[in-house]
Amino acid sequence: MATLPAHDMGPAADAFRKEVRDWLARHWTPERRAAHRRKPFKEHGWDVEFSKEMGRDGLIGAGWPKEFGGQGRSPSEQIALITEMGHADAPISAHTTAETIVAHALFTHGSKAQQNEWLPAIRSAERTFGLGYSEPEAGSDLAALRTRAVRDGDHWVVNGQKLWSTGGDKADCMWLAVRTDPDAKKHAGISVLMVDLRSPGVTIRPSIALYGKTFSATFYDDVRVPAANLVGEVNNGWKVITEALASERVMISGTRMAALEHAFDRLTEYVKETRSLRSDPVVRDRIGTLAADIEVARQFQIRNIRLVEQGKLEVHEAAMGKVFASELQERLGQAALDILGTGGLLSDESPSAPVGEMEWVLRHSIMGMLGGGTSEIQRNIIALRGLDLPR
Amino acid sequence: MSVSKPATAERASDAERAMLRKSVRDFLSRRWPAATAVENANDAEAITALWREMAGQGLAELGSGSSETGAREILVVFEELGRAACPAPLLGAIAANLTLTNRAEAAARALLNDLHQGKAAVAAALGTFDGDAAAGTVEWRGDALSGTISFVEGAPSATHVLVFTDAGAAIVQTGATGLRIEATPGLPVPSFSALTFDNTPASRVAVSTAALADVAQIMRLACAGRALGAAQRGFDLSVEHAKVRKQFGQLIGQFQAVQHKLANNLISLDGARLALDSAADARDRGDADWAVFAAAALAFAGPALREVAVQTHRALGAIGYAEEHEAPRHFRRVHADLVRLGGVARARAALADHLLGPAG
Repeated sequence: MATLPAHDMGPAADAFRKEVRDWLARHWTPERRAAHRRKPFKEHGWDVEFSKEMGRDGLIGAGWPKEFGGQGRSPSEQIALITEMGHADAPISAHTTAETIVAHALFTHGSKAQQNEWLPAIRSAERTFGLGYSEPEAGSDLAALRTRAVRDGDHWVVNGQKLWSTGGDKADCMWLAVRTDPDAKKHAGISVLMVDLRSPGVTIRPSIALYGKTFSATFYDDVRVPAANLVGEVNNGWKVITEALASERVMISGTRMAALEHAFDRLTEYVKETRSLRSDPVVRDRIGTLAADIEVARQFQIRNIRLVEQGKLEVHEAAMGKVFASELQERLGQAALDILGTGGLLSDESPSAPVGEMEWVLRHSIMGMLGGGTSEIQRNIIALRGLDLPR
Repeated sequence: MSVSKPATAERASDAERAMLRKSVRDFLSRRWPAATAVENANDAEAITALWREMAGQGLAELGSGSSETGAREILVVFEELGRAACPAPLLGAIAANLTLTNRAEAAARALLNDLHQGKAAVAAALGTFDGDAAAGTVEWRGDALSGTISFVEGAPSATHVLVFTDAGAAIVQTGATGLRIEATPGLPVPSFSALTFDNTPASRVAVSTAALADVAQIMRLACAGRALGAAQRGFDLSVEHAKVRKQFGQLIGQFQAVQHKLANNLISLDGARLALDSAADARDRGDADWAVFAAAALAFAGPALREVAVQTHRALGAIGYAEEHEAPRHFRRVHADLVRLGGVARARAALADHLLGPAG
């Protein structure tokens, strides 16, 4: 295989990596993989049955503290898990939002009752989540959100609209940021609710994003949400949303990194096997350029994992890793088109495609540069938090 | 093949590296302050005097394996040289230490002895090991060398030239007959030199071509480290400037155009530092793939740090464009160091060779 040499992540990560490979060999067989690929593209990556099998064998929440039912695996071990899943194209999207973002918020801000009820359900993939953050007037300026929740007895009554929720049409629940105090300053009047998407008054309208999967607009008309589903203190939602953001970004970026390396390896393998490309000095120079960038993206990832392990990761360091890896994905996609020519436009569904995933890598790269905070917002964070430049 | 400290020997800790960095930084800020760095850069006597003091600090032994120094410590010291815009002849010294340590030849032992006492200064002439096709070559005729080698740094203040040849290393005294040293002015300050050997007597040291190639690769990391230190210093100046310079009634650091420029520079600097340090660490651990990691670090650092140097000037505006400002010397250093020894093209080619095999 034409690939960069691997970095040593330590014996524990290596041992866990082997466990995961063995597990995948038993559970993610070629037949099952082929069956998954026969589904419509928009379904790829989301497979609740597969997630439930992972959950049964402790592979969801492996990095959670033991007191919450996890295995207390280190960030290095978690990255080993995510990387192996990525290299195997295993469908893990159904549980990852809940496993990372929702669960980590519940560790810190959830009540005992919430932890007892929701964490086991997340760990077994019985409850999956979408993120209800963005709105028509609140994208990068998330704190401008207007979806209202008004207390009525034992319930909150929700009215408003959310946009661009990945998996919003498939998930059981929404991790919903709402305004509970319209008179407070904009960061101060926000709360977080866990909303059952089958509740009366919820309307879900999926669209197909450029990368071929759905993201959804959701509408809330007098939706009644049990008061017990509010996470943390009322009006303290901004803290709930942002507190663990940096370390979550590192874990989430593990999936992106695995996909990037996988795509680069496939492109390189094709070039290696194709004499006219292999002997072209321009192509070789381009491959060398990309290889160096891949290595630097890995370096950012390794640094950030180490910082998470030491409890010292700063939000601007996570932002640097995200900016670099997501923009590298775009460069990789563009380079593949130049190297493969018109054939690079063909997808996996074309039998004659030279490397059928590269055009998708390019379409998907936009997601990385927008989702979870745009590259521009990340650069603001780097400038203000990393360099202490004036506001 | 390892010619410096074996991978099994005790390695310095992060804390020890931080102490090394601080002591070199303190020494250079005292001994080679920014205010006089430009006027002293072309003064061979000033460089010779500095070198004696650096030897007194033990820095002339860098790369010899006599202390707990490997490639990571070389990187740290070169970063500090770059930061201080200091042209001390350390590149020749590490080349000599890495190449000649533990060699039996009398000339090798004598040179290292004088080098470590600060009596000798070495200029390294890499020729066919340079990585740049235009670096030239020499050939042996008996115990004499003939030919021309370009792109040699530190020759005016050197007492010896260490020449890399396909038949081992050669030690040549700079006063030897038939050796002509000619300055080749250009962007770097001080200038490089072209060395012409005309039947010049030389002492041969038996070193394998693999070992010489290994030394050249460490020298590439050292040059990139020096460029990193220079780029980082220029960047630090630009960030300070953005916090105090007002235009249109506000600090220019409040403009997103400036903020994003500086954010990009921080990404490039951190990316280059992480990759270079990881490559040096791989070598110190005896990782067989270290040269691949080094190639990746060099291929990234080249364009990335040069862009940092350019954007530093754009953030500083015309204030930083005068040669008496510190920034221009860093611009020169960054560009001069990153193009050397084969530069980016060679590094990318090495990565392509690793991934794709030979071109044919």
